[in-house]
Amino acid sequence: MSATSFAIETRGVTRVFDSRKGFLFREVSRTEALKGVDLAVEQGAIFGLLGPNGAGKTTLTKILSTLLLPTGGRAFVLGHDVVTDAEWLRPRIGLVLGGERGLYNRISGRENLRYFADLYGLPTAERERRIEEILERVDLSSAADRRVEEYSRGMKQKLHLARGILHRPQVLFLDEPTIGLDPKSARETRKLVRSLVADGVTIFLTTHYMFEAEELCPQLAILSKGRIVARDTVARLRQLVGGDRTLEAEAYGFEDSEVSALRRLPGVSKIIEEEYGPRTRLTLRVRTDEIRPDDVRALLPDHPELEVKERRTSLEDVYLDLVEEEAH
Amino acid sequence: METVANEVSRGRSTVASLRIAILQFLADPQWLIPSMIAPVVFALVSYELFRGSGPYFLTYAILGAGMMSMWGQTLYGSGWATAQDREFGTLEPTIQSPTPYLYVILGRVLWNVLSGLFGGLIVYAVIVVAAGGPPALPDPLGFAILFVFVMLSLASVGVVFAAFYVYTRYAGFIQNIGEFAFYVGTGCMFPVVLLPFWTNPISLVFPPTWGLDALRYLAIPGYRGFGWGFWVDLLGALGTTVAYLAIAGSIFHRVERHVLEEGNLSQY
Ligand SMILES: Nc1ncnc2c1ncn2[C@@H]1O[C@H](COP(=O)(O)OP(=O)(O)OP(=O)(O)O)[C@@H](O)[C@H]1O
Ligand SMILES: [Mg+2]
Repeated sequence: MSATSFAIETRGVTRVFDSRKGFLFREVSRTEALKGVDLAVEQGAIFGLLGPNGAGKTTLTKILSTLLLPTGGRAFVLGHDVVTDAEWLRPRIGLVLGGERGLYNRISGRENLRYFADLYGLPTAERERRIEEILERVDLSSAADRRVEEYSRGMKQKLHLARGILHRPQVLFLDEPTIGLDPKSARETRKLVRSLVADGVTIFLTTHYMFEAEELCPQLAILSKGRIVARDTVARLRQLVGGDRTLEAEAYGFEDSEVSALRRLPGVSKIIEEEYGPRTRLTLRVRTDEIRPDDVRALLPDHPELEVKERRTSLEDVYLDLVEEEAH
Repeated sequence: METVANEVSRGRSTVASLRIAILQFLADPQWLIPSMIAPVVFALVSYELFRGSGPYFLTYAILGAGMMSMWGQTLYGSGWATAQDREFGTLEPTIQSPTPYLYVILGRVLWNVLSGLFGGLIVYAVIVVAAGGPPALPDPLGFAILFVFVMLSLASVGVVFAAFYVYTRYAGFIQNIGEFAFYVGTGCMFPVVLLPFWTNPISLVFPPTWGLDALRYLAIPGYRGFGWGFWVDLLGALGTTVAYLAIAGSIFHRVERHVLEEGNLSQY
């Protein structure tokens, strides 16, 4: 019996880590990695979970893929509870944690796949054919019989992916699938992800890169410090923070009074101040069409080295605003 | 919405795990050399130690050195393999797969028994060469079968040990403390009856204690041991082995749940 018709659904999921230090006098420190996460992902969708380091992305991914128990709340994948129905779920989901670890380095890529194919109960008659097909798909055929320790980072990532999809999961969890990949490999990986969706696989992926989420995920959520701070389509997220325009002013430091003056301009919804070595950049989110770069220049007369430019508000801006707001 | 999934065969998972253990070994066969040298050294030391201690000293020497070179590998090999899984980061994907981890351990245990027996064969060969001939065994076939069984019974304890390695990354530390006590306590080197009387009940908790006593009955005419004879020893060995496998079956389930609660699978 399905409790929900979504491929993935979470209701108030929390997770607390107690880490202990010391041997005799134990110090326990608590980390609330997830503070009540509600999400719903439709069948066949690519869902992106975006967040900075330590936001809780990996924690949520592991909970959904039955590798970690939630402290509170409930989570369902394919309508089945990830805690009580883990046995039912495991053959039907795939998980790619990626990175340098997680593979048997001294044996070949193909042998790694054979091993996991057996653990996933892939019929023996089909196994070799399926491995060949997947190796082809991730473009690893020519290196399949070399030891994994000789693989580059990108090849290891491909092997991780191959293992994740070997058993034809219906839901695939990808934790930062393109991290550490060069642009070309990252692009190939994204292409592969899209082709999986075409096969009907539901994909849940985490990433640091807004552009990646923008490119791949029609639906996304932003996680910051264990909370979902936004959950929407890319188009609507774009409208979420301020208008469509962004102005940037860069110089060797600004006075507080100057920043306040800018803030008083009509239509300025937000100003973010960032430092780059000796230079400071003010990013202004502007709601109206009235304010032009010249208006900004006029308010900052004491900076001969001042540069002001206008650009499109990117999703990256939206993301930074949201994560930033949470931080204040 | 019902969906089909592949049927996982536990037997096939165990074979896959045995296969991976062999492949990893073959990837670095130079490990063969230290694992061959140790049995040779043990055999020569044991030969000198027992020389002249009665008519059956050869059997004592073979049993002592054989167990010494085999027990560690068989008892702790699967624990080490789990520690390695932690280190490689392969513990997470393995636990996440539909195969219960116990069956992965069983495959490795089989490999450890095989490689342990290989060390035992070397010991046997060295002592036969040193003594200029094989020892007089009243029932060589029975002895060989029982010997393999003792290794399997040792491995059943190893499965329980492996659970600790899944449970915590500190298992190696605990094991180092218990290692020597276990070796002496089960009568690997010399019969348990030579130990202080109060230690005997503790020793009897471990299947190899029974099995080794049975082996000595079989190999050494007039052996007294615990005094209850070969068949009681054999039953005791069987019973304790089954008990360990049952314990392993039940604790693995709980250990897996515990690590999912703790979330420490990727730590090493
Ligand atoms: N096993 C653990 N023990 C203790 N704390 C943990 C553990 N795993 C994660 N945490 C903590 O939980 C929080 C969330 O971590 P998580 O790895 O989920 O973040 P993330 O979003 O995946 O970050 P990153 O982008 O760096 O991968 C962090 O504060 C982290 O320190
Ligand atoms: Mg992470």
